[in-house]
Amino acid sequence: MLQFLVKRLIGLIFVIVGITFITFIMGYLAPGDPIRAQMGDHFDYHTWLMLRHAYGLDLPWYQQYYNYLVHLAHLDFGISFKYQNRPVWDILKDGVPVSLELAFWGLIVELLLGIPVGILSAIRANSWIDTLNMGVALIIYALPPFVIAILAQVIIVWIDSKTGASWPSSSWGAPWQYDWADLQPKIVPILVYGAAGYAYFARLARTTMLEVLRQDYVRTARAKGLRERVVIYWHALRNALIPLVTVLGVAIGLLVAGTFFIEQIFNIPGIGRISLQSVIDLDYPVIQATVVLLAVGVVVGNLISDILYTIVDPRIRLE
Amino acid sequence: MSMDAHQRPSEAAGESFVKPDAGLQPPPAELLELAAGVSETPPRAAPLGEEEVLQERRAPSPLRESLRRLRRDRRAMVSLGLIIFFVLVAFFGPPIYQHIGSIYQSPQNGPVPASVYHSYYHEELIRQDEGPSAQYWLGTDDLGRDILARLMQGMLVSIIVATLVEVVDIVLGLIVGVLAGYFGGWIDQLLARFTDLMFAFPGLLFAIMLTGIIGPGASDALAKLPIIGPNGNGRLLLVSLALAITVWPLMARYVRGQTLQLKEQQFIEAARTSGSSDLRIIFRHIIPNLMSIVVVASTLNISNTIIGEAGISLLGLGVQAPGSSLGLMISDATPYINTHPWEILVPTTVLALIVLAFSFLGDGLRDAFDPRSKD
Repeated sequence: MLQFLVKRLIGLIFVIVGITFITFIMGYLAPGDPIRAQMGDHFDYHTWLMLRHAYGLDLPWYQQYYNYLVHLAHLDFGISFKYQNRPVWDILKDGVPVSLELAFWGLIVELLLGIPVGILSAIRANSWIDTLNMGVALIIYALPPFVIAILAQVIIVWIDSKTGASWPSSSWGAPWQYDWADLQPKIVPILVYGAAGYAYFARLARTTMLEVLRQDYVRTARAKGLRERVVIYWHALRNALIPLVTVLGVAIGLLVAGTFFIEQIFNIPGIGRISLQSVIDLDYPVIQATVVLLAVGVVVGNLISDILYTIVDPRIRLE
Repeated sequence: MSMDAHQRPSEAAGESFVKPDAGLQPPPAELLELAAGVSETPPRAAPLGEEEVLQERRAPSPLRESLRRLRRDRRAMVSLGLIIFFVLVAFFGPPIYQHIGSIYQSPQNGPVPASVYHSYYHEELIRQDEGPSAQYWLGTDDLGRDILARLMQGMLVSIIVATLVEVVDIVLGLIVGVLAGYFGGWIDQLLARFTDLMFAFPGLLFAIMLTGIIGPGASDALAKLPIIGPNGNGRLLLVSLALAITVWPLMARYVRGQTLQLKEQQFIEAARTSGSSDLRIIFRHIIPNLMSIVVVASTLNISNTIIGEAGISLLGLGVQAPGSSLGLMISDATPYINTHPWEILVPTTVLALIVLAFSFLGDGLRDAFDPRSKD
């Protein structure tokens, strides 16, 4: 276990170095001078030289990259290009709790709605409930997240106009606060955010449950006269959940990809929006930092899912 | 040296045996031919001389069997029909639509022929946000542009990006995947590391970064490329490139896995024993057997690609006005969601239909090629 963890941590470092390098080299080779772009009409040669020096952009690329890595190792993301005395972390720090909150509740929706629906479908396989569930899941899974988000918004607006209610269609409350005023705008985005993962887990839970129900030990349990409820919830369900743990990583990947659209469409001030804005502003230090944060999120998510896997299934040994 | 001398004639013989009119050849031909097919093919009936008789007696080829299964899958066939319809509309719709309608006396622009007001970029500013009419079949958007014309152009953009991405995806994925699976070694290691990296790197974020950082420059540099009119072709190519870079490692992984399995099969061993070179084994025996997985994976991936392009354009980093794309239309219409929901529903619905059609066709193809994968 320890050996596995060390190995994965080394892998994590490798991935982060690779990702920062790709991001760095893209910014380095990009046409146009970032400082000059930020200065716009206020261009002044001496200020430009001074700023270039201050940001270390006058150094050769390998030195720039090395400095970046050294700073990163001290958890220092550097100074923004656009807001010239704000550290990058200062820009990101308000977005992180928002995105984490969104991801947390999104994952809860996926697991707590998706898995029971999938199990139900498996138990009632080929009934109308199953057909309906799987039809809905298939369509939700295939649709892009932003299409679902927009359809949800159209419906909110339509209901508001019909009933005179004023359900918010694009805003966000204070992170991790759950008064009604803070909670109300969060409900729909979280449901939409979890939708793709919901469909994924529902379909997968159905498949794994069906497979488990065909196993010999389920037949044995039935043969010795256990009640169906005990067979399903005690014998089958626990084994059906094991493969679901392994795909937590995939689910987290889906969540990260969804961040950009959900935050953009519902006007949520999270990492996705900040990242997008920094790309538009060509604010490279902020771009780098968001890329690193999101990638670390994906990798750590995968790591957690691997560790959980060994806990729920002791037969698995990680080498 | 003497080994070589032994091997060559047999290989040359093998070559001639594969020819279709070699029906009455001695057993080795039959063996070789059997080996070349998919491993699960049932033994074929002995050659009876006449071609028709042979055709009848033979078990249907796996490909034909798969196509038969696909034809019976109603959802996949409806999807296929829908895709063909969309492709036809995207390619032939605009020229036909631009010939329909008489000259319109615009208070703003003077007389405007149909070929102009039915184009995707013409703005008739005093006719904003109209509903469907005889002149504008699907109405106009917030700048008085024809929604149907923009829609067809957007579909064309989706199709072109999907085609470009899949070409890169298949070519790169196939080459790298086969090399990694067949030879292993450092190519395999490199591929494994690279795919790890790309899986941790959110693909969409990569595409956003690439288009955001290089986009403005590419638009200027490649603006003159005549692909589909004044559409910001540089951006289009860039989006395709960015999406292609993020998708091919997955294809390479599929191909590698399948190649590893195939490599251990007896017919490959037979081919190797009979002296086929690695190159010949790869091209004649491995790649034909990879086709089903490549077709299924790339069809399923087309959905993601179309979503990707629309998403990047929606975020304002893809196709730029006056060009059109489904994603751009959606983002243009977003501010008017309260007053003119029609404008956002049209491109959203079309996008949803295209994406669903490709997903369902991909699912159908997968079930048809590999019936065991069905649950």
